[in-house]
Amino acid sequence: MYLWKTWHDSRTRVVVYILAALSVGLLSGLDVVAWANWHTLWLTLERPIYRNNWDFYGDLTFDLLRWQVIGYGQVAALLAGLSLGASGVGREYGAGTMHFVLTRPRARRSFVFTDWMTGLTAMVIVVGALAYGVLPFLWLAHAQGPGNILIGLPSLWALGAAIFGLASFTTLVAGSAPKGLVLSVAGVLTYFFLPTALDEWWHMDTLIKAQDWTLQILARDSYYFHWSVTAFWLAVAASFLGASLLWIKFREV
Amino acid sequence: MSDLAIHTQSLAKFFGKTRAVDGLDLRVPRGSVYGFLGRNGAGKTTTVKTLLGLLRPTAGSAQVLGYDIRRDLIAILGRTGFVPENKTLFDSLTPAQLVRFNRGYFPNWSDELAARYAELFEIPMHVRFGKLSLGNKTKVCHLLALCQGAELLVLDEPSVGLDPVITDLLLRVLVEDHVSEGRTVFLSSHQLAEVERIADWVGIIENGKILLETRLEDIRQNYRLIRAAAETAPSVSSPHLVAAKRLENFWSYLVARDAEDFAAMLRAKGMTILEILPVSLGEVFLGLTRKEVPCISGKPGTIPAPA
Repeated sequence: MYLWKTWHDSRTRVVVYILAALSVGLLSGLDVVAWANWHTLWLTLERPIYRNNWDFYGDLTFDLLRWQVIGYGQVAALLAGLSLGASGVGREYGAGTMHFVLTRPRARRSFVFTDWMTGLTAMVIVVGALAYGVLPFLWLAHAQGPGNILIGLPSLWALGAAIFGLASFTTLVAGSAPKGLVLSVAGVLTYFFLPTALDEWWHMDTLIKAQDWTLQILARDSYYFHWSVTAFWLAVAASFLGASLLWIKFREV
Repeated sequence: MSDLAIHTQSLAKFFGKTRAVDGLDLRVPRGSVYGFLGRNGAGKTTTVKTLLGLLRPTAGSAQVLGYDIRRDLIAILGRTGFVPENKTLFDSLTPAQLVRFNRGYFPNWSDELAARYAELFEIPMHVRFGKLSLGNKTKVCHLLALCQGAELLVLDEPSVGLDPVITDLLLRVLVEDHVSEGRTVFLSSHQLAEVERIADWVGIIENGKILLETRLEDIRQNYRLIRAAAETAPSVSSPHLVAAKRLENFWSYLVARDAEDFAAMLRAKGMTILEILPVSLGEVFLGLTRKEVPCISGKPGTIPAPA
């Protein structure tokens, strides 16, 4: 039914995203291992203590791989969230098919839930694929286990869910995927740049402090699970879900 | 269980200051083919959308198959097949995939009927919907609605894009496969000939109000057009007068019954009766909805003497 239709429409895109994320993971992993190797060799020339120092090499590789996962992961969460959110049920208005969807004997909320289920599942897999792409290189470099890399994923997923929720809601409100995408990108840009602008121009630093707190999950040197920030982003996602449910309930076709 | 498939009481739907549906009282008997007629913008599609929950009524109430449109919408949608005015479905799916999509929603879905109609209507089942011609898109919409096992079919402009052969086939299918099994067909259309061919009830809507709701048989048996001539027209009054128009010294009166009595009254007032003719649905429709002639649409009974 609608779940099948949603999957039918997005499967090619999702498979491409997964392959792209895996490729980025593998290529960046390869790049990191090569650079760590070269860097260790270079240090060995200066200070022989680094010769055959596998612990140093492993730790260096691990740090670099984690940075790659967090760095590329936030981009993947942003792009996947925006793209998958904008292809939600809201685009049926623009396609002229909303009357068909909404005359199926199901509660309107079920179409939004279906959208979220498929969209978030795809987003989780895509962002996860990036991390899975680098994992083999941990083993190659005799680095520590993947736990401290994978612990960053739930926060990225939560951030991605909030971005997905924003794009899904704006698409529903705008009634078209392109307009929804533009609105959601505008929302993201406002979120990133408004606090800085307020701070620079009017020395109002409250927002920028709040922004720093919400984005600490993207810090490369934090090796623990930011449960409060993750909960915050999940709450943002949930509020977009609630707004979408209200909107579709009362919107006329 | 109500004898009415659709029953509206003072149903209204306003868009700002525009009164698209304005106090509509509709009574569609179960098991009938009901032709819902009106000019462009008369309020037909708004009525259909309101009945199916796509629009929220501003005022009034309505029941479809005995269920309230505000409270029991899912029950209504599960029993109603709908062919919308714009024949747009998912462009990325083929008709075969649309069948697969749709069947899961309806427990009484018939794959046998789907196969039969696909063959009968010559639908290319494995071409993407977006690539189909308008006619084929319309056929797919009908196939999906007809195979649901619906108690009520709501068809908004059902023959858009269809050639005469398929239109004929569709009308036969509606009557033979659906109405004969006690189901109701609510046909919103401009095509008077199609409605006249299969409908047993008609409702004519104008400016969101119902002007006329009657059996088609009643129009055939009792409605008459009286042509009369006189230098000046007298003021006439009758509860059966539906519409009147003037062309120079000639007057046409459309009466719902007792045409001879009405003609006698005109004679008594000095008019010369030229002819009394049976009328078609089209003439009734034009008589009620044409704007450029004096018309008493919706308020039969009295027409003042034209100035």
